[in-house]
Amino acid sequence: MSSSTTSGQGQGQGDDAPDLVCVADCVHGMVDALSCVRWNKHQGAVVELSEHGIVVTVEESGCLQAKVYLKTELFAEYDYGAEGRPRFGLSLGLLVDCLNMFTVPGFASPVEIRYPGPDMQLLLRSVGSPDACIHAEIRTRIPDTVAWDYHFEHAGNTPVTFTVKSAILKESIDDLEWPGSSIQIHFHPDPPSVIFKGEGHGDLEIEFSYYANTDLLIAFQCDQELSYRYKYKFLRATTSNVPSSVLKENRGSKVTIGRGGMLKIQHLVSVARLGTQSYHNFAGGAQQPSRIAFIEFFVKPEEDD
Amino acid sequence: MKFKASFTDDGISLLDKRFLPAIDKVGRVCHVYLTPTHAMLLHNLLGSTGPEGDGPQCVAQFAKDLLFREYNVSSRDGNRVAFSVDVALLHRAIRSALAVHAQSPADGDAPAAIQVKLVNKQTPGSRSAAPFLTFETKGARSAVVQDVPISKPLSRSDVARLQDALDAAQELPETLVQVPDLQQLQNLVDRLKNIGDLLSVTVTQYGDLHLQVSTSLVTVGSEFKRLRILGARANAPVVDQNVSATIRMEMAVERGEALSVQVSMKHLVKSLQCHLAKPDCTFYGIAPNGACLTVIFQYFIPGTRLTDKSISFYCRLPVLDPGTS
Repeated sequence: MSSSTTSGQGQGQGDDAPDLVCVADCVHGMVDALSCVRWNKHQGAVVELSEHGIVVTVEESGCLQAKVYLKTELFAEYDYGAEGRPRFGLSLGLLVDCLNMFTVPGFASPVEIRYPGPDMQLLLRSVGSPDACIHAEIRTRIPDTVAWDYHFEHAGNTPVTFTVKSAILKESIDDLEWPGSSIQIHFHPDPPSVIFKGEGHGDLEIEFSYYANTDLLIAFQCDQELSYRYKYKFLRATTSNVPSSVLKENRGSKVTIGRGGMLKIQHLVSVARLGTQSYHNFAGGAQQPSRIAFIEFFVKPEEDD
Repeated sequence: MKFKASFTDDGISLLDKRFLPAIDKVGRVCHVYLTPTHAMLLHNLLGSTGPEGDGPQCVAQFAKDLLFREYNVSSRDGNRVAFSVDVALLHRAIRSALAVHAQSPADGDAPAAIQVKLVNKQTPGSRSAAPFLTFETKGARSAVVQDVPISKPLSRSDVARLQDALDAAQELPETLVQVPDLQQLQNLVDRLKNIGDLLSVTVTQYGDLHLQVSTSLVTVGSEFKRLRILGARANAPVVDQNVSATIRMEMAVERGEALSVQVSMKHLVKSLQCHLAKPDCTFYGIAPNGACLTVIFQYFIPGTRLTDKSISFYCRLPVLDPGTS
């Protein structure tokens, strides 16, 4: 990739081209996607840049991990000049709050994202209007080098997975708050069904039966009986902040169980605003279909005693 | 000490629809100050005595003829009267007076004006008399009298302090810049307040307004350029547009062509509530020596672009750090 063509706020950077200069024509979707993985106020995130896009990862207690994939197609411009894959840590809350600044009605203009700044900051600024400008500098830190063990492999030859309307998944998990504590997810190949079972202050069972209602499970795949238990608070984090746009579109969230019971939940967030004129697309093609941010949650199962 | 007046139709609807909603958001209790020529609603002019401490000063001053007909105020202190009142109660009384007043009058009769006066009366269950602001409204079918409890009138020395504070506030910033859209500014500040509690505000003689929040982890700013300027102006130097706004503002302050102060985010949010009074123009400026951040709201004479001199409405935000003084 060539070095940046839009010079920015970089002072004293010498001739070094920044690792990344990209422009998002609207950051509403990005705010939605990142808010989805913001389950507490003071949460650190690790950002990884590459020629394919930006990946934001958050982690908690060695049991829960979430990743937001912002692919290059989401950006109007994406100029990547680094070798290797630069990684840095920052506060997720601050990143969301700063991006939110650019969603003020009347200010909505393309936002340039640049890394690193003169002091290794992440720099954001609006580039649409010459008479009103918003700018932000977020201090970054060197990320922890501890490797997170969320390696995901399918359990058998065929993946064990189902896809359910996002709103239903969220509602079901919200309902399981009452028994709380530990939730068992049970896959049943014949008749095809998935059961969420909570045992705590009381028992609550929610069954998704593939044949009962064709609208309920959009897809179901399972060739063996499987059952794992997960801590409710981690399960809840996977849907508690799903943006209302995802629930409204209700595309479907995909739930997969991998080897050792690793649970993967995927959501899709539309990044393009409906009804807004798109800027131009980095990929150059039709904009709308590719403008999706992917969100993945990984939850480790509870250890059996 | 006496006060008796009848509201004009425009005056009472101005209070009901614009000023009382705004004043109520700035603070729960305000001072009412009546002089032979003006009526005023004031917040925080007597310093941190009220329950809300040293919040932004807010002054809404009306020429007596705008609000009232048959305006009589008399006291032994130069015919000036001041007291404090709960804004929500005052607004409620005015709203219900307007509702009664709106009942259609008998044919040919113009409705009687809404009257307001200061009374001292004993309420059932209490031993001593207490002061009230009494509203008398005559509708077609009913007449309603409402008593709004007020504080004891301010002492002569407090009235003098009030007047001194008002006189001190007359000093205008050298440069004022016009903010085009107050609602938009409020949206912006609503998001900024998530980031930090302290806000630096810079006003340049080139017509720039810059708001910035800095913490140890983040700096977020918003810059409005090429705003309409009142007062001292200067030509913006040719600066590389790639230089960050923060540095450009520092350079302008060094050249003496800008002032910068730090104010509390909470105060700014409160002062922005004044947009409920629907001003026609809003100007921001910094008082000489960075004494305070001044926000001036301007009204036009209806149907014209001429400033209505019978209304004067402004806020002064205390400065937390003298900044560039």
